[in-house]
Amino acid sequence: MIKFISSSVGKKYLMGLSGLVWAGFIFVHMLGNMTILISPDLYNAYGHAIVSNKPLLFATEAALLGALFVHVICAVLLTKGNQEARKSRYAATPNGAKAPAFASQWMAVHGSIILIFIISHLLTFKYGNYYETTVNGVNMRDLARLIYENFQLPQVVGWYVISLILLGFHLTHGVRSIFQSFGLLHPAYQPVIQKLGVVYAVVVAGGFISQPIFVFFAKSLGS
Amino acid sequence: MSENKINLTLKVWRQKGQKDDGQFKEYHANDISTDASFLEMLDAVNEELISKGDDPIAFDHDCREGICGSCGFMIDGNAHGPQKSTTVCQLHMRHFKNGDSVTLEPWRASSFPVIKDLMVDRTAFDRIIRSGGYISVNTGNAQDGNALPIPKQDADEAFNAATCIGCGACVASCKNASAALFTSAKISHLGLLPQGQVEKDKRALRMVEQMDAEGFGACTSTGTCSASCPKDISLINIAKMNKDFLKASLTKKPEAHAGDGV
Amino acid sequence: MAINLDSKIPSGPIESKWKNHKFNMKLVNPANKRKHSVIVVGTGLAGASAAASLGELGYKVKAFCVHESPRRAHSVAAQGGINAAKNYQNDGDSVYRLFYDTVKGGDFRAREANVHRLAEVSTAIIDTCVAQGVPFAREYGGLLSNRSFGGAQVSRTFYARGQTGQQLLLGAYSAMMRQVDLGQVELRTRREMLDLVIVDGKARGVSMRNLLTGEIESYEADAVVIATGGYSNVFYLSTNAMACAVTAAWKAHKKGALFANPCYTQIHPTCIPVHGENQSKLTLMSESLRNDGRVWVPKNKNDKRPPQDIPEGERDYYLERVYPSFGNLAPRDVASRQAKFRCDEGFGVGEGHAVYLDFKDAIQRYGEDKIAERYGNLFQMYDKITGENPYKMPMKIYPAPHYTMGGLWVDYNLMSTIPGLFVAGEANFSDHGANRLGASALMQGLADGYFVLPYTIGDYIANTKLEKVTTDNTAFKETKNEVETGINKLMNIKGNRTVESLHKELGRVMWDKCGMSRTREGLQEAAQKIAKIKQEFWNNVRIPGEVNYLNPELEKAGRVADFIELGELMCKDALEREESCGGHFREEHQENGEAKRNDDKFCHVAAWEWNGDNKPQTRHVEELKFENVKLATRSYK
Repeated sequence: MIKFISSSVGKKYLMGLSGLVWAGFIFVHMLGNMTILISPDLYNAYGHAIVSNKPLLFATEAALLGALFVHVICAVLLTKGNQEARKSRYAATPNGAKAPAFASQWMAVHGSIILIFIISHLLTFKYGNYYETTVNGVNMRDLARLIYENFQLPQVVGWYVISLILLGFHLTHGVRSIFQSFGLLHPAYQPVIQKLGVVYAVVVAGGFISQPIFVFFAKSLGS
Repeated sequence: MSENKINLTLKVWRQKGQKDDGQFKEYHANDISTDASFLEMLDAVNEELISKGDDPIAFDHDCREGICGSCGFMIDGNAHGPQKSTTVCQLHMRHFKNGDSVTLEPWRASSFPVIKDLMVDRTAFDRIIRSGGYISVNTGNAQDGNALPIPKQDADEAFNAATCIGCGACVASCKNASAALFTSAKISHLGLLPQGQVEKDKRALRMVEQMDAEGFGACTSTGTCSASCPKDISLINIAKMNKDFLKASLTKKPEAHAGDGV
Repeated sequence: MAINLDSKIPSGPIESKWKNHKFNMKLVNPANKRKHSVIVVGTGLAGASAAASLGELGYKVKAFCVHESPRRAHSVAAQGGINAAKNYQNDGDSVYRLFYDTVKGGDFRAREANVHRLAEVSTAIIDTCVAQGVPFAREYGGLLSNRSFGGAQVSRTFYARGQTGQQLLLGAYSAMMRQVDLGQVELRTRREMLDLVIVDGKARGVSMRNLLTGEIESYEADAVVIATGGYSNVFYLSTNAMACAVTAAWKAHKKGALFANPCYTQIHPTCIPVHGENQSKLTLMSESLRNDGRVWVPKNKNDKRPPQDIPEGERDYYLERVYPSFGNLAPRDVASRQAKFRCDEGFGVGEGHAVYLDFKDAIQRYGEDKIAERYGNLFQMYDKITGENPYKMPMKIYPAPHYTMGGLWVDYNLMSTIPGLFVAGEANFSDHGANRLGASALMQGLADGYFVLPYTIGDYIANTKLEKVTTDNTAFKETKNEVETGINKLMNIKGNRTVESLHKELGRVMWDKCGMSRTREGLQEAAQKIAKIKQEFWNNVRIPGEVNYLNPELEKAGRVADFIELGELMCKDALEREESCGGHFREEHQENGEAKRNDDKFCHVAAWEWNGDNKPQTRHVEELKFENVKLATRSYK
């Protein structure tokens, strides 16, 4: 098993597996957060429902934290190895048919930015100001207010939009790569998988981006 | 075959030996026939250099028909030049314009040290093959060739993977200098055939291990390897290799490694 | 020196010679095999297969190649296929028929017993290769597919699309790499053999130049195998790879191994014609194309119309016309000569030195897809080189030097006239006579390496008293000195001509005077011209760079120096052979444009003995006996 993990192929499996955990999570996260587009109350109720289920919350958080840790460690190790594998750079860069796709080339770069984004996102919201509200007679955290506060600032909205676009790129390549790394690529399905990656990324990134944009323009509706 | 003559400016990486530092030098290739191959253009440049008493540009080459895998260097950052599915020896000057300026660099990878100028040492590939790129059968042990029917589709797929010429363009073009395409092509060639089943697990384990030991980078699925491959070896081979490697790692029996020697 | 060219052909009926011989040969006990070592120079099909098989048997093998990797040997470029008498097609093939076709195809200038053995082991080659994982073409039912090739009326050629040589080589290479992994074979690449070391009259080692460091290294063994291919590059432009050279064989020749039939060269009929001044090599288009392509020239001289504008009635499908029973599948020597005749008479197309190979009918009959499946990679290659699309326009082709039937003389055991020096594959002379049939070279290389040498080398070792020898032996030191002196001599010429320009000059003379057709006057003229080139070379060649570094120009210079001497011998051999046979066509000896043999005087192998620099070589003769295939005029009409 140690041999497996220390091999380049093994690390790619771990990358894929941990990426998959996050890819699944953010899809659900994105869908759930869509409630903000419907009403702040509904959004708060949804949030409250999640935090109330402590075991589920902890399990999820632990899984995500673990996956993130594995993902980042593997990424660092692989990137280091890859840099070792080519110490001197080419003077000319390719273009045309033999050039790599943008998304695939900068995985480590957008990966790093996304990591910063995740941390700042958690600091802003999970560990941000605590407001309270009552929905249908139940006391709960008024996260919607915090969101409305933050997304009235153009720089915050801008940072989110940029980060989420990068997340989209990360996902297009990531999803396709998972199939490749897991050895699930098959000639018959390859084009479908290729498209699946793009569709998934657009849906996730688009869905998320719609939220700060909506809130930014809908600020007058704020409570 | 309508012949034209063109002039080119070449920026060529010159490096005397493995331990020496290299730098770019500029050369002019004049009156080059558009029917000539890229290497024939370099021949002409070299003839001139020799006549002037200079050291000719070293590059690996042999069959000059795109099958031996000897030749290969970067032309403007493209492995084997801008054309798809070709080796430099089969790249013809009709794809260049009069007055073009092109940059020639050797394959750059830590596992492919530069020998001289555009020549690199790719013996790492031989060591990967040596670690399991074969079916262990001694001469004289074989049953009749038709005793084992192989579905045409499998045979064709195996053939496609087997057409790899080992030129190293995959490594050269990969941003990580990964040899996954090369290694996986051999693993899939043999893994697709019934003859190759017995050693399938061991082959995947040993060849991947050797690939890593040689210091090649990891596959990031950018696809540039396949795009640069003169034989259009498919990325699917890498997926197959990964699958074989996982399966072999999960089902490995303790004895599996003891049988390596005789 | 009195030389007895004893071919050591075993007695008995032809079918049982090899079987009996195998039984009669002495064996080396398994425990002793590991005490014996064999040097294998060259790792193409013959060398790699020999190294692998000898390693499997337990011998310590030292393998060398001039390339960076054994997988780059020029066997890799063979396109069409490999023959084997499997009779899978139920079309009447048999070992005897393959034997018969090969003897006839060689124009009755090959040794019957060798050819029969080749045909016998052909079937086991296919089995071995399949077991190694060579992905031969298959039918939908999963069984092996065959196609037909020139000079045969049965389909016995096994193939892997247009890359058969590559796939067979990768098979032999992988078998050898397995032995490298097991420690049985020590592989050293980028080494060029520059001399043979003889101790007590036996071949006991080699002098190698390490091409990366320039160092001259010595290696010892109990036997030496030379499997370094042919010498077509004597013509400068040929289908051979750039590094193909006669050097290893020639050095052995100079050390006493006789060189047989140097004038037997094969000019392959279907190559892409020469174009441009810068051209460095010619590219072959597989003979298999003649299965579906029709060869023609316009009926009118100097017809400059594009091919599609020339109506059917004004086309001369000359191979079908002259050879109705074999048609476009006439053997190579015949097809090449006919193309030359047409072009010499002014019917050539393009720049005059080309004929058409047309797939229009085949595309109409089978559809473009089917043709693409059969020849896709060849069509693609043609398109890349010429910029013309062969699906739309007929290919332009012309003959080019491709293979050499001549080579170091060997007996039935593949041993040269130097005890302990074995020669395999194209480097020896034995199996193809004066002309090789398509898809027989791969067969012979692998037969020698997989199935002949492992037996005969064992027999030699078991029968020979081999004293222990190390590279400290004076013979090794002397040889090393000679090699170093030779290299310094080359480096010190410091003249004005590039090696390439002198090689080109030699090639032109050889092609014009000792190529597809030869005359007494032409050959005499060639001898004079070569003498001048030789003089120019040794006085005026310029080799840049340093001795102790990678120096491709120095490598080339050494090879060209040997080609010059070989060229002299080829012309002499061609001059002495007052007949036409197979690839050797003397204009003085013909009947209606067909080669006319002289069996009374020349039914023999001519083997040349080196007598020292600038001294004429001595011609020795091995009579050929045809006891099974009756000597007859070879006809494909």
